[in-house]
Amino acid sequence: MIKLHKVSKSFSQFQAIKSISLTINKGEIYGIIGTSGAGKSTLLRLMNLLEVPNEGDVEVNGQQLTKLTSKSLRQARQSIGMIFQHFNLVANKTVYDNVAVSLELAKIPKQERKNRVIECLQFVGLEKLLDKYPAELSGGQKQRVAIARALANRPEVLLCDEPTSSLDPNTTAEILGVLENVNKSLGVTIVIVSHEMEVIKSICNRVTVMADGEIHDTVCIEPAGIANISNSPNWFVEQLVKGGE
Amino acid sequence: MPAVLVQYEAEIWKAIIETFAMVGASIAAAVLIGLPVGTLLFLCRKGKILENQMVFSVLNLVVNIIRSFPFLLLVVFLIPFTRLIIGTAIGTAAATVPLSIIAIAHYSRLVEQSLLDVPKGVMEAAISMGASVKEVIFKFLYVEARSGLVLGLTTSIISFISYSTIMGVVGGGGIGDFAIRYGYQQFKTDLMIYMIIIMVILVQIIQFTGTTVSRLIDKR
Ligand SMILES: Nc1ncnc2c1ncn2[C@@H]1O[C@H](COP(=O)(O)OP(=O)(O)OP(=O)(O)O)[C@@H](O)[C@H]1O
Ligand SMILES: [Mg+2]
Repeated sequence: MIKLHKVSKSFSQFQAIKSISLTINKGEIYGIIGTSGAGKSTLLRLMNLLEVPNEGDVEVNGQQLTKLTSKSLRQARQSIGMIFQHFNLVANKTVYDNVAVSLELAKIPKQERKNRVIECLQFVGLEKLLDKYPAELSGGQKQRVAIARALANRPEVLLCDEPTSSLDPNTTAEILGVLENVNKSLGVTIVIVSHEMEVIKSICNRVTVMADGEIHDTVCIEPAGIANISNSPNWFVEQLVKGGE
Repeated sequence: MPAVLVQYEAEIWKAIIETFAMVGASIAAAVLIGLPVGTLLFLCRKGKILENQMVFSVLNLVVNIIRSFPFLLLVVFLIPFTRLIIGTAIGTAAATVPLSIIAIAHYSRLVEQSLLDVPKGVMEAAISMGASVKEVIFKFLYVEARSGLVLGLTTSIISFISYSTIMGVVGGGGIGDFAIRYGYQQFKTDLMIYMIIIMVILVQIIQFTGTTVSRLIDKR
């Protein structure tokens, strides 16, 4: 589904990605972990050419992105969803319009757009909030909108850059649940960049560990499942007391 | 109504219309040319989607030069150019030329600043969704920056009114010119004060409208 072949990326003098090759298979939930500055985000952003590599080829959905004209690249990007740590919603658009805009970009006719927006918002459980603006939503809800927006064009791949890093543990579990559902029920291949081990362990089936712009190792794991974190105040008390023992 | 105002009613109306014509032309130039220029200034910066050092430097320099001219000197300096496009350098129509030029330089800078306030991530999201440059501008940048664009235009319009008051030097007329010719030069201080009151009211209305609109469309 995604193939990187000897891809390198430098920022002025600094080489952030050093000739990396990797293959991500259809249907996987693929994790990328490593310390800050290891090059995880850069590697992810190479997968939809948000960063253009200095060398090497990037292939997604059987298309060599590095060889496409800018118009075909824009089309190819419509089948590659992306979500971000800070959600990156348009604050002056409602929830509905935030999702609808990705369909507008794909030139989907207005009537069908409406159905698809509703369908995507239902998928993430936000169909009741479609008139709200992002400022009126919680972090978890914003990330759900971002997921709905990324899914609207029925992508083959969903790239996630620290999707839960600005969320609390409960909301993290919720969002991971949504992502797992995106993978299981829609068959979308997911790539998750995170520095949180728990996140990676819970849903990924293959993980690349990065260090200094290189792949340190890639391991297959059995997803541990999303930790069930309770909402109740008692749970917080229990955890605190347990920690004190 | 005070007697002086009645006495000069026709002239006052003429002056008001001239001011509106000059400021209106400035607004049109600001929106039709200043907005695209400011957008280009923003998009040609380093790391932005149309990154182009050359275009950026040239635009930046031109805008700075125009803005660093004392306005009166700019008007005089532009006389040959004005004559070239309008056919004359005297009168209200001719006055719109230097006003439009300063309007473009003024508003484009404010546009650039408003666009710089748009979070980088929003543009990234737009590009990751496959937006073209045009779509990034109209469906993302301007939507996100709209309250700043309106506030900037409000500030600009008020400056345009101020600039228009000195257009008497090239026979542009307007309220400012009227206040100087009748109020100051003919010692009709009351008339001058009334003209100032008209200007103050005008500025108040514009500022109030601009602030209100920008607040209403800001959902951030
Ligand atoms: N646009 C850029 N210009 C210059 N240097 C950059 C740029 N983007 C990334 N870098 C550098 O490349 C290196 C890798 O950055 P990257 O964002 O990929 O790290 P990361 O692994 O995602 O780290 P974090 O966990 O902090 O997000 C860092 O040293 C960073 O400073
Ligand atoms: Mg990162």
